[in-house]
Amino acid sequence: MEYLMNPTPIKKKFITPGVVVLLILALNAMVFLAIRFFFGIGSMTNLDNQHPWGIWIAIDVACGVALAAGGFTSAALGHIIHKEEFKVILRPALITAMLGYTFVAIGVFVDLGRYYFIWHPLIFWNGTSPLFEVGLCVMIYATVLYIEFLPIVTERFIGHVNLKGRLSFLNVPLDAILRFLDRGLSKTMFVFIIAGVVLSTLHQSSLGTLMVIAGPKMHPLWQTPVLPLLFLISAIAVGFPMIIFESLLASRSLGLKPEMKVLSNLGRMVGPLLVIYLAIKIIDMAIRGTYVYLTEINTASVMFMLEVVLGVIIPLRMFFSEKVLNSRLLLFIAASLVVFGVFLNRINNFLVAYTPPYALNKYFPSIGEISVTIGFIAILVLLYRVIVMFFPVISIPDKKLMPKTKYAIRGEEK
Amino acid sequence: MGFQNRRDFFKTSLLLTAGITGISSKKNKAASLDGPSENRMGVLVDTTVCIGCRSCEWACKTTHGLPTKPIDSYLDRSVYDKKRRPDEHALTVVNEYDNPNNPLLPTDVKVQCMHCEEPACVSACIVGAFTKHPEGAVTWDTDKCIGCRYCMVACPFQVPSFEYSKAVQPKIMKCDFCFERTKEGKLPACVEVCPTEALTYGNRNELIEIAKQRIKRQPDKYYNHILGEAEIGGTSWLYLAGQDFGKLDFPKLGRDPAPGVTEAIQHGIFSYFIPPIALFALLGSVMWINRSKNNGEEK
Amino acid sequence: MKYFVFIVITYLSLSTFSFPQEVIHNQVNLECNTCHTCEVPTKNDPCLIECPRPKMQKEFPSSETGPDIFIMDELENRYLPVVFTHKLHAQMSDMTGGCLACHHYNTLGPILRCNQCHSEKRKRTDISKPDLMAAYHQQCLDCHRQWSHKNDCTSCHAEKKGNESFDRSEISSELTQKTHPEVKKPVKIIYQTDCKEGKLVTFFHDQHINIFGLDCISCHKNENCISCHDPAKVKNGKQHNFDKPIMVNISETERHQRCFGCHENDKCSLCHKNSEMKPFDHSLRTGWALNKNHLKLECTACHTKDKGFTKLENECVSCHRNWNSETFDHKVTGLMLDEIHIEFDCSDCHLDRDFSRRPSCGNCHDDKNFPNNKPGKLVN
Repeated sequence: MEYLMNPTPIKKKFITPGVVVLLILALNAMVFLAIRFFFGIGSMTNLDNQHPWGIWIAIDVACGVALAAGGFTSAALGHIIHKEEFKVILRPALITAMLGYTFVAIGVFVDLGRYYFIWHPLIFWNGTSPLFEVGLCVMIYATVLYIEFLPIVTERFIGHVNLKGRLSFLNVPLDAILRFLDRGLSKTMFVFIIAGVVLSTLHQSSLGTLMVIAGPKMHPLWQTPVLPLLFLISAIAVGFPMIIFESLLASRSLGLKPEMKVLSNLGRMVGPLLVIYLAIKIIDMAIRGTYVYLTEINTASVMFMLEVVLGVIIPLRMFFSEKVLNSRLLLFIAASLVVFGVFLNRINNFLVAYTPPYALNKYFPSIGEISVTIGFIAILVLLYRVIVMFFPVISIPDKKLMPKTKYAIRGEEK
Repeated sequence: MGFQNRRDFFKTSLLLTAGITGISSKKNKAASLDGPSENRMGVLVDTTVCIGCRSCEWACKTTHGLPTKPIDSYLDRSVYDKKRRPDEHALTVVNEYDNPNNPLLPTDVKVQCMHCEEPACVSACIVGAFTKHPEGAVTWDTDKCIGCRYCMVACPFQVPSFEYSKAVQPKIMKCDFCFERTKEGKLPACVEVCPTEALTYGNRNELIEIAKQRIKRQPDKYYNHILGEAEIGGTSWLYLAGQDFGKLDFPKLGRDPAPGVTEAIQHGIFSYFIPPIALFALLGSVMWINRSKNNGEEK
Repeated sequence: MKYFVFIVITYLSLSTFSFPQEVIHNQVNLECNTCHTCEVPTKNDPCLIECPRPKMQKEFPSSETGPDIFIMDELENRYLPVVFTHKLHAQMSDMTGGCLACHHYNTLGPILRCNQCHSEKRKRTDISKPDLMAAYHQQCLDCHRQWSHKNDCTSCHAEKKGNESFDRSEISSELTQKTHPEVKKPVKIIYQTDCKEGKLVTFFHDQHINIFGLDCISCHKNENCISCHDPAKVKNGKQHNFDKPIMVNISETERHQRCFGCHENDKCSLCHKNSEMKPFDHSLRTGWALNKNHLKLECTACHTKDKGFTKLENECVSCHRNWNSETFDHKVTGLMLDEIHIEFDCSDCHLDRDFSRRPSCGNCHDDKNFPNNKPGKLVN
């Protein structure tokens, strides 16, 4: 490396026209959320007894979890396999995952009929339920992600706690707490990092198991006992493209120069993963003979082809091309396609494939549902912006050659 | 990565492993019962006998405290113009279908929870709010439910319904096989009220025998199949009909219990927490090796 | 339960009726254990085999001689007892399975009360048979539903208002005397068929009933009210339309099926002729004219059912099996022999004991012959 990369809070103006739009979208979601909490889920969603799950589960939860996979794939790469060069992406990926899982948790909270009992899975256990496993894993993993985030907080505030006025007496104890946390975390952080990866593999796959029990209610193109494996591999495969996607997006939005070298190295790993995913998908189709459903033209077959061709086959070819890997635009397109493919796959699995008996009408999300989901994404982006501006997350070249920081997570010591 | 030395690493790993194993031993095993018990009860619905008077709908609502019109209003047969499903306002409904054998005697089919022998809802529920009782009933516990509606996704008969219009304490609504009544030695309300005894309440094994007898005695009258005897591992409610069940809007289901594959996967991943712990250990060692290598290089 | 005002329906009291025809057991060629489970059945404990009893033989009085009505009552809260017009229904059932349609699994003995098999309680140990309420409703509603497309209770049950009680004496004679108008029976029906040879089939409806002794349900197994009545016209008032010809729309195979019960082994040409057939005449068809005694008999008196209407031995003894000259009373032939002739041996007049030939007086008399001179008095 020519420069020493160092995570630094980005100093920029917070309010931009884009931010205003996001704020409006967030506000719009709040209005619909108020309706949901005062008048019940039925008042503003298109859910019914035949379609119990809508986009709040398919997008907020399923896509949210899948697209936050960058957190654990990068952790595995950077911390466990210990590739130094990917250090710079660790923090942005961590933030994405943390925000992603927060988004998932809030999505679930809104969707639950009895949101105030969201903690029940902690005390009422049902080992046979994949949802229980997903729920518990997501709860623990979100906690783990927050713990992993703590060193960033301590780094930001140790020696900088400076409360004004009446609260100033807290400055000393707070600093002490931060220092204590800092020391404790340095010894145990590896446990949380490994736990994060294990928990992720567990619930990423169990998210696939969720729909297996729907049995014949699922379209055969998607219904397969290997769904958990497909979900896990697609989650791993979408991890790096998601990091590429969001790094390129963030660097453009924040006016930074993207770390193309790191990103194209990340991209190099995507191709093989997509090959494995596609292979399993095709072998599974061949064994179950479900390719016959592709001969008929209907929503299911079209959505399936879109998902596989746009989301897997085209980006697969692109990620094997050096030209793509070195071009900012093409890499962005390839990464977006994979992200889109997984997004579509989750929607297909949870909504398109789900064809319950006795359905009086087809499910299509209501304006309220769409507003809430979009509003949450807007809030997510806003929070990301706030965090990178306030905490040392994004690494920028540091000409001053500051001393290395203490943890791998925020750099190296000694 | 910042662990100070190998001792730290071991110490923490051990603690964590012990912790997870501790949790796993507390974890409930699958809630499946050891096969249907001898006193497993059921109801045999003979659709060839049902006259579509809908007294059962009325009795069900009155028993469960759901609002209902007076029984005289149930004579109105225009409700049969549309096919209905049990929902949060009616735990059971009767639908009417054309009878190809005799156009003047339409087939009436009562629909409610089938009370599966191996219920998908019991297996799927995130908090275990559903219980399969040894007597046959599948009931729902309002104190546990969080309203996630996964039971509705899982149910192969698409039976549980949800009070979407309630902002607070919405309930999952489905037939509870009159669990409270049967506990007191009473018949389920619908069975008690049925004027033609199209619903026969009794021991499930006995009901299967009776159903077989009826088919054998009147092979012209009955379609030779007992719905619920084998479907998805069997259901407590059984159906006889004079025509193909597919024409009566019953879903086509195999013999394998609905939660079978899912539970197999779950138990595969979580057999005594060995796979997750093994993965943890594996990742730990990889991390350790890479870490030492790196340290060595740096030194 | 305060929610539970539950509709049970009715109970039947049959006990007040006794039927005129008691079946005499020793006349029936049946093993005891076909009906009874114990060695010595008594009136109080007939120890009958549980329903269903597939092998059972039954005998019923005619629809005319059964009870006119009976009242299904007891334990009623929502509705008054049901007055069941038994005679009317029995008459109607003549073409829909007969008495058996309701009195299924009855034994040879007295007509059993429904509650002998059907429990009055819904919650019971033996659930293989419907309970009493269900048994009634199942019997009634199959027809009533087809008839009216309704299942309103009030077509049979009068709704109870207040503490109103049911008074048997107030049952109108209109109800007790209600009968079904006699069904018009055709004499003969000529079917035009598509056959090249034997285009016409002449079916002598009256002869099949009167001579061959078939009852309605032998052919009309599953006729329904709506086979004759148009339910659409019934709906709009009390005017029933009776003109719908029965059995016109049945298929060719079904039509043949009804005849094949007896005519299974007959040639097509038995029925299919090129011209209209003459009514059945025993002497023409068999060459053996029936004398006036035999004419009175039903075919089945000689032609036992199990052998069908096959040719019989011409000998008297082939039918009159227990006959011998000591016990024979010549009076049954319509001729009471006088004191002298009664002492003779049969073969004195009936030469070679050939009873089909005209008897001869030549053994004793030269100047007398039969039938101008009779050896006694003619009686009826």
